[in-house]
Amino acid sequence: MRGRRIRTIATHVALIAGATVSAMPFLWMVTTSLKPPGALYQPPLLVPIHFEWANYAEAWRAAPFPRFFLNSAVMAVGITLAQTMLSAMAGYAFARLRFPGRDALFLVVLGTMMIPFPVTLIPSYMIVAQLGWIDTYAALIVPRAASAFAIFLFRQFFLHLPRELEEAALIDGAGRFAIFWRIVIPLSTPVIAASAIFSFLFAWNDFLWPLVVTTSPRMQTIQVGLAMFQGQYGVFWTLLMAACVLAVIPAILAFLVAQRRFIEGMTTTGLKG
Amino acid sequence: MTSLARKLAILALFALLGAATAQQLSFWHYWDGANGQVLQGLIDQYQAENPGVTIEAVFVPGSELVTRLQTAIQGRQTPSLAIADLVTVPLLTGSGALVPLDDYIAASNLDLDDYFPGPMVYGIRDGRRYSLPVSASNLALFWNKDLFEQAGLDPDVPPRTWSELIAFGQTIRERTGAWGFELFTQGGEGTSWQWQVFLWSAGGEVLSADLGSPAFHSAAGERALGMWADLVHEHGVSTIAPWGLFGRGEAAMVMDGSWMTQFFPMQVRFPLGSAIFPYADDGVPASNLGGEQVFLFASDAATEAAAWDFVAWFSSTEVQVEWNRNTGFMPIRASVADDPAYRAWVASARPLLQPFVDVMPYARARPPITNYPRVSDLLAEYVLEAVHARMTPAQALGAAESEIAPLLR
Amino acid sequence: MVDKRAAAVRGTPRSPNGGVGRAWPEALLLLGPALLVLATFSVYPALASIHLSLFDWDGIRPVRAFVGLDNYTRLVASREFANSLRVTVVYSAGMTIAALAIGLLTAVLLNQRIRGIALYRVLFFLPVITPTVAAGVVWRHLFDPSQGVVNRSLAMVGVSGPSWLTDPAWALLAVILVGVWKRVGFNVVVYLAALQGVPRMLYEAAQLDGATPWQTLRYVTIPLLAPTTFFLSVTALIDAFQVFDLVYVMTSGGPLRSTDVFGFFLYRYGFRYHELGYASAIAFVMFALIFVATLVQYRLARGGGRAG
Repeated sequence: MRGRRIRTIATHVALIAGATVSAMPFLWMVTTSLKPPGALYQPPLLVPIHFEWANYAEAWRAAPFPRFFLNSAVMAVGITLAQTMLSAMAGYAFARLRFPGRDALFLVVLGTMMIPFPVTLIPSYMIVAQLGWIDTYAALIVPRAASAFAIFLFRQFFLHLPRELEEAALIDGAGRFAIFWRIVIPLSTPVIAASAIFSFLFAWNDFLWPLVVTTSPRMQTIQVGLAMFQGQYGVFWTLLMAACVLAVIPAILAFLVAQRRFIEGMTTTGLKG
Repeated sequence: MTSLARKLAILALFALLGAATAQQLSFWHYWDGANGQVLQGLIDQYQAENPGVTIEAVFVPGSELVTRLQTAIQGRQTPSLAIADLVTVPLLTGSGALVPLDDYIAASNLDLDDYFPGPMVYGIRDGRRYSLPVSASNLALFWNKDLFEQAGLDPDVPPRTWSELIAFGQTIRERTGAWGFELFTQGGEGTSWQWQVFLWSAGGEVLSADLGSPAFHSAAGERALGMWADLVHEHGVSTIAPWGLFGRGEAAMVMDGSWMTQFFPMQVRFPLGSAIFPYADDGVPASNLGGEQVFLFASDAATEAAAWDFVAWFSSTEVQVEWNRNTGFMPIRASVADDPAYRAWVASARPLLQPFVDVMPYARARPPITNYPRVSDLLAEYVLEAVHARMTPAQALGAAESEIAPLLR
Repeated sequence: MVDKRAAAVRGTPRSPNGGVGRAWPEALLLLGPALLVLATFSVYPALASIHLSLFDWDGIRPVRAFVGLDNYTRLVASREFANSLRVTVVYSAGMTIAALAIGLLTAVLLNQRIRGIALYRVLFFLPVITPTVAAGVVWRHLFDPSQGVVNRSLAMVGVSGPSWLTDPAWALLAVILVGVWKRVGFNVVVYLAALQGVPRMLYEAAQLDGATPWQTLRYVTIPLLAPTTFFLSVTALIDAFQVFDLVYVMTSGGPLRSTDVFGFFLYRYGFRYHELGYASAIAFVMFALIFVATLVQYRLARGGGRAG
């Protein structure tokens, strides 16, 4: 009995320690963002004792953040929708259809995940430039409309989805595409939610590509704005942290909202084997 | 048509004509925040004086500007004009996308002799000039007057030579516990360009005059690198730590840039002094230059001419005085440095800036070679090997020389 | 399960997975869009960049010089490459293994119906969704030798912390720690979901057999989680091999190149030294190494159990 209680206490201690380490930098980010500029070089705090909310107003004013937010939102939503749709379709095809070269093709798709991004940067930019898409939402969204990771996720999920309903529909003469839309998709809410949240987070936090394909503040995204901010206000850590917090909040909110679905998605993607 | 309608029609016609012949220029830069606003103010002024021209200033974050220019040149989407960091100019002049400026300069009344020699080594390729300096910054000494006082030193007297730097540093370390002098030990360009100041002030050179071979492995070089290693290990005046000791009041002296005359007073809680950086005991004052150069991209004749007109206007002494007064950038022309209005502004608004102005005639520029970043990184790496006491200064410079020599072709 | 008679009656030769001939138009429709995007913006640029690796080009000069395999021979012989390889392998292995172990352990602990599990999950996942730039900037400050939280905490227990990011002996460890910090939450969440699918019966059976918690973990839980571990280690390794943002923000590959991972090495040569051909060669080698490592893992998983 005592052994069990010690174990329980030890478990709690370990978990609290872990959670603290996890959250601590974020706490620091927030408390520093609330420090007045004069307190910049004072010892670090984890609990805010200053509340210089003006830093946030200042950060918001210093760059066209509303526009950056909008651009990030449009880009993130666009990428999320595109990736989810395209990857679900592709994942389904890989899971259910048999055709020559299917497995090899899947390996190639997986292989694209291993291509380091800087490698593709300049040739991709040249393609986008030739299409006349520089400084448009098309440049931000289309090149990232497919995700090998999401395809992987969907394929895993579909492989473990019981086939009875689809087979019954097949026998009834329904086409694969119709089966996909009418039967499989409604059953796939968990993996769709999981994939969507991944796509959204990737898109929201992405930096290098949006930087390269946008040239005006009219089209730049929040992370690019944050980088600009680092250039302008790099020495002012308090403002920099305020801008950081602003750039991070939507990601957190999105996660909190989709958290349950995300977990459900993980649960049923067959990753548990 | 009524008389009113006819007038309106004529007005509309003029507006259309005006719009049709309006010259649109795009100007890429990385001047951020307040400096960007100053630029915009000057652009507005120019546009007011030249109604047919509109200039769109596009901000690109500093670290990415060259990448963007590269990809723009590839994608044939170049702006009309742009600025770039000094050091990246050799890369751009080799692109074939820039417009030679010699004819424009000759036809204008721009006096090149008025420019300080340091920045002018950039922008030249095959005997033609492709860029002009438009701003500069340089390095000098800052010190913490409070720590000086605490250590029993006169807070208004900075060290002038290396021996004094060491002596002052040791006194401060003993009497206050703070470090005497903060070195930039994070490698890369920061280390490299600080060390070059020491090298130059000891009478050394980075590369040979024809830029074809390394010249830093010399008596002067070993002296300069020995000084760095000794500051840490022998004299205990400096340490290897993340940058920021001076700002936090944990180091009494630092080599930093002219732009810090604006930022330090906002960030630090102690009174500051600035002076030309201490030079080797029998050496010369020296400083290292940063800054930007402006250049034009090849396009149609009208655009190029319009872009040049703006550049010439921007480079004039009057506009440069305005520019420097509002941004704190260093004068690139002697006439600006001597301008009474400018000097008055420095004396009243930025007294810390005066030593930076004074050292401009001695300020040197980094070697204008295309692969400067690679050479610089290698140099910094070996400087740090000596600072970390993993190699002796002679060994480090020798190794650097053998790795850098093949890169200079 | 298919009623073959019914199928035969309709005269359509359907197998449960769709006949080969029939599947093509549908396969095209379903796969087409995704494959088109991947081909245009992943495969083609990668190939173009392999092509580029055979040239010497600075991205700006109008003419590219063909140098054949020179970039590769230079690369393989260079001390920077050997260093970068070592650093990357250490980072990748260290980060992946540590994040897996900590993630698994944490998930197992959380799986015991701990109160506040939802809160824990959120707290552990926060680092995963934080933008890397922000994370790097924050951690750079946390590792400050005199003012940072890390060393101050160590000082409280009487340990004098090293000068993390400026000490060549410690900088890589610091970066690994941040990489682990950023990754663990993801592993925890995935493992947790996987664990929650394990029937309680198995644990109870093990307990009845007298197994200690450690034995249960080792002989029941871990084997059951093998496919999950495979998925997590493959994705972690691929990510770790390409780490860039953290190094860029925290150490710039230093001090003394002790954190010069491939991602940063490539960036230096591509975007700082403007040697696009050489950088492309680095990229190709990176890609090849990642591919081989993944293949090896795939084979290992195939041998050990269902990999899906």
